[in-house]
Amino acid sequence: MAGDRIALQSTRPTEFMDLTGRLQRVIEKAGLLNGRVHLQALHTTLGLAMNENEPLLLADLEAMLRRLAPAEATYLHDDFSLRRAVPEDEPANGHAHARNLLLQPSLTLLVEDGELLVGRWQSVFAVELDGPRAREVAIQLEGEFAKGRPDRTRRLIELELERQLHADPEQVGDPMRRLVEAGGKRFRPFLVLLTARLGPDYDPLRAATLAAAVELIHAATLVHDDYVDESPQRRGRPTVAAAEGPARAIAVGDFYFAKATRLIAELGSPDVTSTIAVAMEAICRSQIDDLELRGRYPGDEADYLRVVRGKTAALIAAACVAGAQLSGASAEVVERVRRYGDAVGVAFQMTDDVVDFSDRSGKPMGQDIRERVLSLPLIYASEDEALGGEIQQLLAGPLPDRELRRVVELVGRSGALDRVNREATDLVQAALRELEGVDLDGVKATLAEIAESVVDRSA
Amino acid sequence: MIGTPDLEAIETLWKQGLEEAYTAYRPATTGLDGEDRHRVALAAALIEVALELQRLGRPAAAAPDLLRGDLCLARASRLLAETRDQRLQVSFARAIEERSAAAAAERPLGPARDRLLLAIADGR
Repeated sequence: MAGDRIALQSTRPTEFMDLTGRLQRVIEKAGLLNGRVHLQALHTTLGLAMNENEPLLLADLEAMLRRLAPAEATYLHDDFSLRRAVPEDEPANGHAHARNLLLQPSLTLLVEDGELLVGRWQSVFAVELDGPRAREVAIQLEGEFAKGRPDRTRRLIELELERQLHADPEQVGDPMRRLVEAGGKRFRPFLVLLTARLGPDYDPLRAATLAAAVELIHAATLVHDDYVDESPQRRGRPTVAAAEGPARAIAVGDFYFAKATRLIAELGSPDVTSTIAVAMEAICRSQIDDLELRGRYPGDEADYLRVVRGKTAALIAAACVAGAQLSGASAEVVERVRRYGDAVGVAFQMTDDVVDFSDRSGKPMGQDIRERVLSLPLIYASEDEALGGEIQQLLAGPLPDRELRRVVELVGRSGALDRVNREATDLVQAALRELEGVDLDGVKATLAEIAESVVDRSA
Repeated sequence: MIGTPDLEAIETLWKQGLEEAYTAYRPATTGLDGEDRHRVALAAALIEVALELQRLGRPAAAAPDLLRGDLCLARASRLLAETRDQRLQVSFARAIEERSAAAAAERPLGPARDRLLLAIADGR
């Protein structure tokens, strides 16, 4: 349950004040995804109504109110000689009270997928009957809020992934199914499904196909990455390379790169196809850079940002862009979500790096360092005047447990973790700014929550 | 003449089979617009070289070759996206799906060039 108030200032004696946009913003601010919003006028001469916001119709309705309860008629309420304890500023407004009987003191409206459920011609009005005055409408919201990802969207992603994997040849389908079923955040497909609602051509089934394809690309990169990194496990299970052998792992990765490319091409949106293809190229290019950089580990900040923009941020930004493009969103919206995705993607990786130094990460502390994975805290710490020399000396060796613990300790002492956390938070703030001043049609609150959740992981 | 961006990070492959493959695919692209002829022939050549680098259907490639192969596949995908020709994109993707599925199943693979020439023909 969440609550809010809408403050209004009427400018005429009778006035229809359209609340629809403001209600939507209240819903977004509260992060209500599915449920109800209750409105209640806090005045006896302010009513609520749903109707069409067409100026001549509103003039008709105003005339109807005047006809049914004329201001010039006699109302006992207006005879202050008959009433007790009348305040000095009491207006003669019996007609306004009478007119209010024709309206509603409260309304309950439905919210679906973060949007106020109104028909094409419906608007929500607060109707001033005795203005001009300052007014207030109380709001309560109840239902499912965007604290976690909405179950319906999550189910849609899982169902589409299952559908896509179901018919594939078992030699490639089975290993990929095991990887997909082992978990994963589904961060990228979720972003696709959100941004696919930003344009006029939203189609949930096409969006689900794109979302699944993007997740399959991500999964295919993991299959190849795990072979390159010689990782024994992924998501708590043996990697495809470990379980099936490297030759099959390569074939599985290739199959799903190609399948995802085909699924996207079949959607028939050249812009979407280009967006994803460019992102795939950026990912593959940065993986080569990443491997080469391991020879001069830990590298520097410029190296790090170049690799992270390709390896992590490119597909996250492309997921945002492709979803928006698929739905025919405006060029401005597409550009905003691209910048949002890029900032969130880099912040996501920075936070991942910090988590590697935490004993609450669920994986052995310092594992990334042992595997020579680029790490911004390590880069900053190794540039520290006092501690950097020792860190670089340790990194030049084989890093058994004692030395690894020492590196982790030195990174903690250097202040690098706080610095990376601050920079990730700044990036999330930049991502949130991209969501301002543009019509994001009910998904803004969820996009904001996703961005904020990225840095919450390191808290 | 191949532009530098198309070979960025894989320049050495040009003389290691990519040029020969590109030349071999050019005749199959006759009839396409000038830029698209180049894109489709180079995409086919990149895919052929990628599958060879990755040793699809044979013992696994070393990590650097796998990644260079991935970059070739991704670049081919980008070149095909630039043609904005859906049929060609689908046709090439199906060819890779077929070959990688066969490799995973340890079934014998025919010559990649024949299959990719078929993909060009099917996509037109």
